[in-house]
Amino acid sequence: MRRSRLRPGDSLRVGFVGLRSRKVRTVLSALGVAIGVATVVSVLGISRSSQDELLDQLDALGTNLLQVQAGQGLGLGGNTDLPDTAASQVRNIAPVEEVASVTSLDGPALRSSYADPNATGGISVKAAEPTLLDTVAGSVAEGRFLDDAVDDYPVAVLGAVTAERLGITAVDGQTSVWMNGRAWQVIGILEELPLASDLDRAVLVGYDAAATYLDADLAPSRLYIRTASSSVEQVADVLPAQANPEEPENVDVSRPSDALAAKAAAEDAFTSLFLGLGAVALLVGAVGTANVMVMSVLERRGEIGLRRALGATRRHVRGQFLAESLLLSLCGGIAGVLIGAAVTFGYAQAKGLHFVVPASAVGYGMLAAVGIGVLAGVYPATRAARLAPTEALRAA
Amino acid sequence: MSDAVSAVLELQQVTKKYGDLEVLHGVDLAVDSGELVAVLGPSGSGKSTLLHIMGTLDRATTGTVIVDGHDTAALSEAQVAGLRAHRIGFVFQAFHLLDGLSAVDNVANGLLYSGTPRAERRARAHAMLARVGLGDRAGQLPRLMSGGERQRVAIARALLNRPAIVFADEPTGNLDSHNGAEVLDLLRELNAEGTTIVVITHEHEVAAAMGRQVEVRDGMIVRDSRRTAEAVAR
Repeated sequence: MRRSRLRPGDSLRVGFVGLRSRKVRTVLSALGVAIGVATVVSVLGISRSSQDELLDQLDALGTNLLQVQAGQGLGLGGNTDLPDTAASQVRNIAPVEEVASVTSLDGPALRSSYADPNATGGISVKAAEPTLLDTVAGSVAEGRFLDDAVDDYPVAVLGAVTAERLGITAVDGQTSVWMNGRAWQVIGILEELPLASDLDRAVLVGYDAAATYLDADLAPSRLYIRTASSSVEQVADVLPAQANPEEPENVDVSRPSDALAAKAAAEDAFTSLFLGLGAVALLVGAVGTANVMVMSVLERRGEIGLRRALGATRRHVRGQFLAESLLLSLCGGIAGVLIGAAVTFGYAQAKGLHFVVPASAVGYGMLAAVGIGVLAGVYPATRAARLAPTEALRAA
Repeated sequence: MSDAVSAVLELQQVTKKYGDLEVLHGVDLAVDSGELVAVLGPSGSGKSTLLHIMGTLDRATTGTVIVDGHDTAALSEAQVAGLRAHRIGFVFQAFHLLDGLSAVDNVANGLLYSGTPRAERRARAHAMLARVGLGDRAGQLPRLMSGGERQRVAIARALLNRPAIVFADEPTGNLDSHNGAEVLDLLRELNAEGTTIVVITHEHEVAAAMGRQVEVRDGMIVRDSRRTAEAVAR
């Protein structure tokens, strides 16, 4: 007695023919799976691309920048400055590579003498040391930064936001801002400073110029400190005592790069949210596929009966519908990965990010597709296999 | 009596019940190798049920069904499927060709569940299509063919596994008289070449074209031309 037997290659081909014979339906239901998979892949891809960008930025800016300012605490009232000696004391800490002090001055900085002195636009005036730019890993968009040569002249460097608010886009030697009753020539405009974004809204002047023309108290209100990368923690520990030996508890030490790191971490939270959306899309795709397969079984009872008459066992029929469902969702999965990668690429291009599609995203996408194929296929395939041949032939 | 060894199909006291309703009441029928038999009966006579039981698509409630020497009651579902894959061919009124496949691939499906490699299936399918007069239509899709051509494709498929017996269920039911006559001619030719064929029909003209007529009514065989002939001979 010879048994009935379907070769493995034939069983794949049978599934493929089933899909090929119903092209529109196949494409539409594969599209359902593709959308779900594309969502997952693009969410993971975009979040990884943005994270990569942030981490790159973090790498470029360095995590070895510390910032010291007078604390608000302990009821000491209005003294929000550090001692005059703070900068030189901090320079004495061995691993410290660079220090730049900044002193907040009384504004306002105006576009011209005719401007309303109360409309400061949130722009502050600060005295800054020439070392500041290197210390905060900043760069100049236009012109130059403060240096020793101009330190005692009434010249100013504008933060990126300041320049925008004042409507100054070029450094041409003619442009000036109005402070304390005189014009200050603008010699430079900065790029945005991700590690010191309050400086973006400042007008920076030299310490000597501030002393000469603004007659201000020049005790530093903040220090920016670059240390050796290996001893950031240790330096942070000794900074309060060094900066203000008399009131070390009145010194706040922070690490500006922590904010960027937190932003990178926050991407993860968004990712989970959008992944949830992707999961919903996948579920919809699965339901669609299951629906198509159930309909297919109902419609193709004649074919099922024929195949049983040709010698197919129940197992062969079940295998055929499972194969169709799997092939369908695999095609959807592959299309979804490609669409997801394309979306990520487009987003990365538009935002100027690196284009990264993590292998895990492709893996999860394909895994989800196969899962859908099996889940959506099992019930219809079992129903098809259970159909008695006589019933199947009669219905057709 | 005919020699039991040469019987391809043997039904002994076969009954079929659906719940309390008995639709076959003790049918005895033997078909010898090389016969061309018409099972004739009006709709509701039980001839379709009889076809399903003879073709192993359904099982008898009681009685014995022996196909190609195998007592089907003793066979498992999978073994019965094997019997259909290797030893039985079917031709249906509605053709049951797959729309997505060309004529030759439809014919090749006759050996799909026998484990025969695809190349060999297709080679034999080409030869069989040529035998039924459609050698030049091998690549054609069934929906672009006439009813008569489609039924010939279906017949080629039924013959591909060199079956011990072919069951044709109202093979001319969907055809006009010209195409119907051609299909009947083809069945007679194939029978002349040695194929055992059982045609199920409700048309007397169709039955008259066969070598032997078995008439079914109300779940029983009321006339069998071979028995009548044997009785006369005796």
